[in-house]
Amino acid sequence: MSEPLIEVSQLTRRFGARTALAAVSLSLPRGAVYGLVGANGAGKTTLIRHILGLLRAESGSVRVFGLDPVADPVGVLSRIGYLSEENDLPGWMRVDELVRYSRAFYPAWDDAYAEELRRSFALDPRARVKSLSKGQKARLGLLVALAYRPQLLVLDEPSSGLDPIVRRDILGAVLRTIAHEGRTVLFSSHLLEEVEEVADHVTMIDQGRIVLGAPLSTILESHRSLAEAFVALVGSPAAPARDG
Amino acid sequence: MRSAAAAIAWEFRRKHRWGLIALGGYLLVLAAYRLLILGPGRTVDFEDAQSFAFAVVGPITASVLYLLAVFSFGLSGDLAARQSIYPARMFSLPVSNAALAGWPMLYGSVTMAILWFATRPLALWPSGFPIPVIWPALLAASLLAWTQALVWMPYALPGLRVIVTVLWLATIDAVVMLALHFKAGEPVMLALLAPHVPLAYLTARFAVGRARRGDVPDWRAILDRLGRVADVLPHRRERFPSPRSAQVWFEWRRHGRSLPALVGILLPFELALLFVARDTPAIVFGTMLLASITPPLMAVFVAATLGESNPQGSDSYGVTPFLATRPLTSVSLVAAKLEVTIWSTLAAWLLVLAAVPLALRLSGTAPMVIERARRLVEVMGTPRAVAIVLLVLSALMASTWKQLVQSLCIGLTGRGWLVKTSVFGTLSFLAIAVPLAQWIHGSKSLMGVLWNALPWIAAALVCFKVSAAAWIAFRLRDRRLLGDRTLLLGAACWDITVFALYGVLVWLTPGILFPSYVLALVAILEVPLVRLSAAPLSLAWNRHR
Repeated sequence: MSEPLIEVSQLTRRFGARTALAAVSLSLPRGAVYGLVGANGAGKTTLIRHILGLLRAESGSVRVFGLDPVADPVGVLSRIGYLSEENDLPGWMRVDELVRYSRAFYPAWDDAYAEELRRSFALDPRARVKSLSKGQKARLGLLVALAYRPQLLVLDEPSSGLDPIVRRDILGAVLRTIAHEGRTVLFSSHLLEEVEEVADHVTMIDQGRIVLGAPLSTILESHRSLAEAFVALVGSPAAPARDG
Repeated sequence: MRSAAAAIAWEFRRKHRWGLIALGGYLLVLAAYRLLILGPGRTVDFEDAQSFAFAVVGPITASVLYLLAVFSFGLSGDLAARQSIYPARMFSLPVSNAALAGWPMLYGSVTMAILWFATRPLALWPSGFPIPVIWPALLAASLLAWTQALVWMPYALPGLRVIVTVLWLATIDAVVMLALHFKAGEPVMLALLAPHVPLAYLTARFAVGRARRGDVPDWRAILDRLGRVADVLPHRRERFPSPRSAQVWFEWRRHGRSLPALVGILLPFELALLFVARDTPAIVFGTMLLASITPPLMAVFVAATLGESNPQGSDSYGVTPFLATRPLTSVSLVAAKLEVTIWSTLAAWLLVLAAVPLALRLSGTAPMVIERARRLVEVMGTPRAVAIVLLVLSALMASTWKQLVQSLCIGLTGRGWLVKTSVFGTLSFLAIAVPLAQWIHGSKSLMGVLWNALPWIAAALVCFKVSAAAWIAFRLRDRRLLGDRTLLLGAACWDITVFALYGVLVWLTPGILFPSYVLALVAILEVPLVRLSAAPLSLAWNRHR
């Protein structure tokens, strides 16, 4: 069996008195879509930030591609495509400047693919990032996260607050990414139907603890839907599935 | 809270309680000094203008600026934006435009007036200084009211708010100065200032009304048309040769142009003095001095923004996920910043070195400077005179760069509390250091003691610096931020710089003045090491929290 892509072991994180992650252990093999679901504040973003090396493990360990993301940020981050919920792309850059800047960091950057994505997302290359709508910014973020065909695509609440068309683009990108052999997607969301649509494997997190980690098909054997499983395990629905 | 007025007052009080408490504390200290130490009715004899500025003008000006920022909502908005700086969340409150504009203006004006009426009897005014009674309070209230009105107004272009506000406030100041020049009495000053607050209130009400209905004029289309001309010009589309060069470009675009731009804006005004007083050597050489200290002085202000990663965010010092997820080491990210500071310094100095000779020539003051240079050559000889000029220039350039980079290790930590503590510590140090230096300066015996202890003080500081550097080097190595080879190379470069500076100091300084070991200690202390090498550690602490 191949080495797991992400290996989180007994990870605990506290912010003051609040425990954001409590002895979380997780092992993600390659080549599938992993849905990380939980209510707001459950610990999804904290876990993802540990995987990216933006948070240092207080106790426990995090390994991505077999590397410590804090000790070796270049080794890890050069193989990850990341789209954050915050979408903090530099507003002063133009779209083509962002593309030109981003491709410098990734030797595998595919110009043709980037251009194809730019056209399909209808992004004006001379437009300033700050002048783009929220949906356009999400598409641009997706473009720079996908254009070098990363081995791991991490999407942290990517469709939060976006219209259904942009959400469709994002889900399409997820499906396109897994179409490339051996690529993996970690997709965090509180929109359960969205996760149900694309995920192979679901990890439910509640108050910093993993309450369920199983293939989606196994979950659906015992529950009618992911939302029902969520209510059964966590006690309240994460969010209305069709809130956009 | 039963009214909008009370709610708005509560917000100001709650949000700025620490600043207002500090201001109250300052007034209490003044009162205690005035009444308990100095004694009622007594005045202070300041020896010079600097002491008066330090004890009275500085704190009062800082307090006024702080209150301007608080009551205009300037601390929480984007001054350069086209949109009103008035908090948009308040537009949905069920209150009239008059209330939205009026209450903050009333609270601000009253606070300004209270500040003056409290300061007037308590501040340490020099003996014989004629202290006006009411009009400064009215001036402060007018300045605040106009600041509010102008910063709350939506504008057609980004940055226009700052220009309009500065010009208008400067005009009011100029009128007041002119009136004082002609020795206008209190009634005249009151008559001049009285209409300002009502006029500003009407403007503010109009501004809030426009902002509330989203009426923001937009002239950007005109600029866009001009921008399309730039599109015809060759556009850089080639790849960056390396991630490092991309990051340098990024840093240059974000921070690199600030210092040359600031210097470029100030220089014409400074050099204009050469045309005004071309026959006065003191003004000509004073202007040259002013132009040459402009880059290091402006670097102090630019440095405050260099460590910021996220100027728009609430956590402005925290590194953004976009930047934190660049596949670069923290050392590379810092190296890009440092490279940009070098280019920024060179660009600023290029402006100075091009503008000063040009202004000297055009103003006809060049012969005066050439004559002075010729005398320097006669006294010192050509090689030594050239070397001294080059050294002074290099020292000023090095000082500019040092100002830019030395606070990076604080800003890059991403901890607001550390940045604020550092600023507070520096200001407190200055507050103690200036009177302490004056006190020492006034005592010959103390000067003698300090002069004799100078080598020991320098040696202690060197021990501290070297120990701190060693600790940082170990931390950099332990955290695998830098390898042994890079650390050794860095140490070798630092050694070479110290030896070079030591050689220059020995060559320049008469041996009778300082023994050579003191010069060695000075060289070690002068070449940046600790704060510079701590910058990657700070960024790593910020990036991997």
